[in-house]
Parts: sequence; C-alpha cells; structure tokens
Amino acid sequence: MRRTARTAVLTAAASAALFTAACGSEAEQVDPTPAPSASPDDTGDGDDTTGSFTPGDYEATGSYQTPGGTQSVDVEVTLEADGTITDLDVEGNAEGGNSEQFQGKFEGGIDAEVVGKKITELDVSKVSGSSLTSGGFNDAIAQITDDARA
Amino acid sequence: MHSWVFDAIGTRWRLDAGTDIDRSAVLSLVEGFDRIWSRFRGDSEVTRLRTTGHVDLGEHAPEIFALYDRLHRLTDGAMSPAIGASLERLGYDADYTLTAHGEAVAAFRWTDARREGSTIEVDQPVVVDIGAVGKGYLADRVADLVGEPVTVDASGDIVHRGPQPLRVAMEHPADPSKAVGVIEVPPGHAVAASAANRRIWGEGLHHILDARTGRPASDIVATWAVAPSAALADGLATALFFVSPERVLDEFPGVGCAVIDRSLRIRAIGLPGEVFR
Repeated sequence: MRRTARTAVLTAAASAALFTAACGSEAEQVDPTPAPSASPDDTGDGDDTTGSFTPGDYEATGSYQTPGGTQSVDVEVTLEADGTITDLDVEGNAEGGNSEQFQGKFEGGIDAEVVGKKITELDVSKVSGSSLTSGGFNDAIAQITDDARA
Repeated sequence: MHSWVFDAIGTRWRLDAGTDIDRSAVLSLVEGFDRIWSRFRGDSEVTRLRTTGHVDLGEHAPEIFALYDRLHRLTDGAMSPAIGASLERLGYDADYTLTAHGEAVAAFRWTDARREGSTIEVDQPVVVDIGAVGKGYLADRVADLVGEPVTVDASGDIVHRGPQPLRVAMEHPADPSKAVGVIEVPPGHAVAASAANRRIWGEGLHHILDARTGRPASDIVATWAVAPSAALADGLATALFFVSPERVLDEFPGVGCAVIDRSLRIRAIGLPGEVFR
C-alpha cells in the first residue's frame, strides 16, 4: 500500500468517511483478519458475545470534493470487538494538493468579515474552535465503526 | 498509524502516532499532572494553597510559571494563574454551580507570590488555576512521551509532529458546522483555540476572566494561535482576548494569530493557511 504523508492520510480519512456516510456506501471487511477466531466468517457461531462489532480489518473507499476536483481515498481500519480502532491506514489518491498555495496567505495580515464554509466540504483533518469535540473527524471514524457493527 | 481516543482532565483526547502508544504511561502522566494542578480536586497540590502558605508544585511548575510570567507582562496583568478565586466567585467551581456568588473579585496579585524553583509561598489563601496554558502544556508532554511522528489533539489544542503540515479547520464561533478558514499547522508546531462561548453559564459569564477585575473579557469571541509549543499557543489564544494580534507578534515573533470580535470581523496575522472571503 502506498502511504502518503501523514497529514494527507488523516485528511483523506475524514473526508472519505464522511462521503461514505453521506452516500450510503458500505465499508467492506477484508482479509486477513487478526486471528482466526475473530474471522468475519465466524460471526454466526455466537462466540463473540462481549462486543457489538465483528473484529477484523475493514476497508472503505470514498471520494470527496476539493477545489481541484474529485479525489478518492482508501481507508483501512482494524477494529476490536468493543469498537476500538487499533490501526488505521489510508491510501490517499490525491496528487499535489493545494497546501503550498495556502502557505503564507496570512503573512500580510487580514481584516475582513467572517465567511463560513461547511466543514464537511473542506479538506481538513481537524477542527479547532469552540465546540468540545474535534469535529467531523471523530464523527467520520464513528461512521466506519457503525458500518462494522455486527 | 496507531490511534487512540480517551477522556482525561475533563476533555477528549485523540492521539495518532507512528508507533504503538504506551497507554498506561500516557494515562499515568496525565493523572500525575491532574493530581498536582487540578483546581477541582480536593487532593491536588494547588488545592493546598487554599489553606497552606507553602506548596511544592513539582517538576512542571518552573516552566508553567515562567510562561505565565511572560503572558502576565504581555497582557498588563490580565492573565494570572491566581485567577481561580475569581472563577469560583462567578460560578466556575468544583461543583459546577455555575451561579455567581457575588460581585467579581480581582485575582490575588501574582507578583506578590514568592517562588523558588517549583515551590510557591503566599501570605494568604490563593486559588491557582492554570487553565490558560495547562491543557496545551500537558499535550506537549504527551507528545514528548509518545515520540514522533505524533499528533496529539486535546479537543482543539493540537500538537503536530509529523512530516507534513496538518490542515485544521477554524470553527465558526456561531455555527460549529462551519469554518471561517483553514490553518496549516507546520510540522513541529501546535495550534490552540479559545472562545468565549466554550464554557458559558450566564449572561456575560464565561471562563476567560480579566485578573485585574475578575470580570469576563469582552469584545473578542474566538481566537486561534499557532506556536512551536501547545503551551504557548494555548496561552496566546487566551492573551488574544486582552491584547491585539500585532502586540502578540511583537512579544512572540514567529507565532500566528487570529481573532474574531463580536461583530464577526476576523483579524489574522502570521498564520499559515487561509481565511475564507
């Protein structure tokens, strides 16, 4: 798997999962699973009585809109039965990006009226501000875990 | 990538690290910090300053107080770690009564405290509250413990030590579904935000108080700061309620600042990123 830089990884994960949720596409479980006993093939045997998730590796592909056009990403997470994400990998397919062109735009100072844009339409990995959550990213991860509920 | 979400010191934390995270070590660090510095705990060391004139506040005290000294000067005394009594008077107390108990009171004059190393000595009861820098400082220490690459997100106070800039949306102070801009946090830097509506419990009552009067700061509703450490970013995000971004940059060259006032006008300087227009 081609690993993009860390920032892009998190950025892509949030956008992908939000898109996944919005469009109703489903996360797919992929092999290999961490242990034979946790295989998705075993979900019907009733062994897994403590958690509400089928543990294992999950993968979802999503696309998202950026000012530069539609981009897509592959998100892979490893879930434990209690819903804990023990590993997260994202292959970002976006090339280039607009990071460089944003750099330094503030240098001369800005004094203007506030203009708000929907956070879900932004290519960001974190939110910082007045609410007490980190915004959409944690929500996005929650969407993936929802898809993985056994 | 290894991710972990946990709740500690009254906030949600998210760690994204390149290697396995030693969770028990992180929790031990956080608990140890809380045990010394929490104004809300009856068994904390700072709580002892309510009844004892001499307390040792441990290994982190010199750096935290040194930063507060700079912030105290920058804001002409508006920022002080002795603000706790003023906060309690207005209802931000251990029981979260969120009811003002009386008129606002100015903070104990911090310059009257005698300090030597990690110890502090005062002639009267003092309620220490390091809320303006504590969470950021602790986020820095958690990042130190985990090792690079790591991103520590303490609900908006974010330490970023990775190979690429981290894109962080600047939450709209009146609409959490919207952003007013995007900050690109450079590797090895941190971003912090503060907002007057973050902890609010009554008309004109919120958690950012002016130590000189004990009253809530006004005019500014949201701030952001980018700095090499989260402790500094956290502190500056509060300082921006009292002094202009330009003055902050005069005192701390190289940091980035943004403020939004009550008329929803935004001023930004030195920040890497974009403000929407």
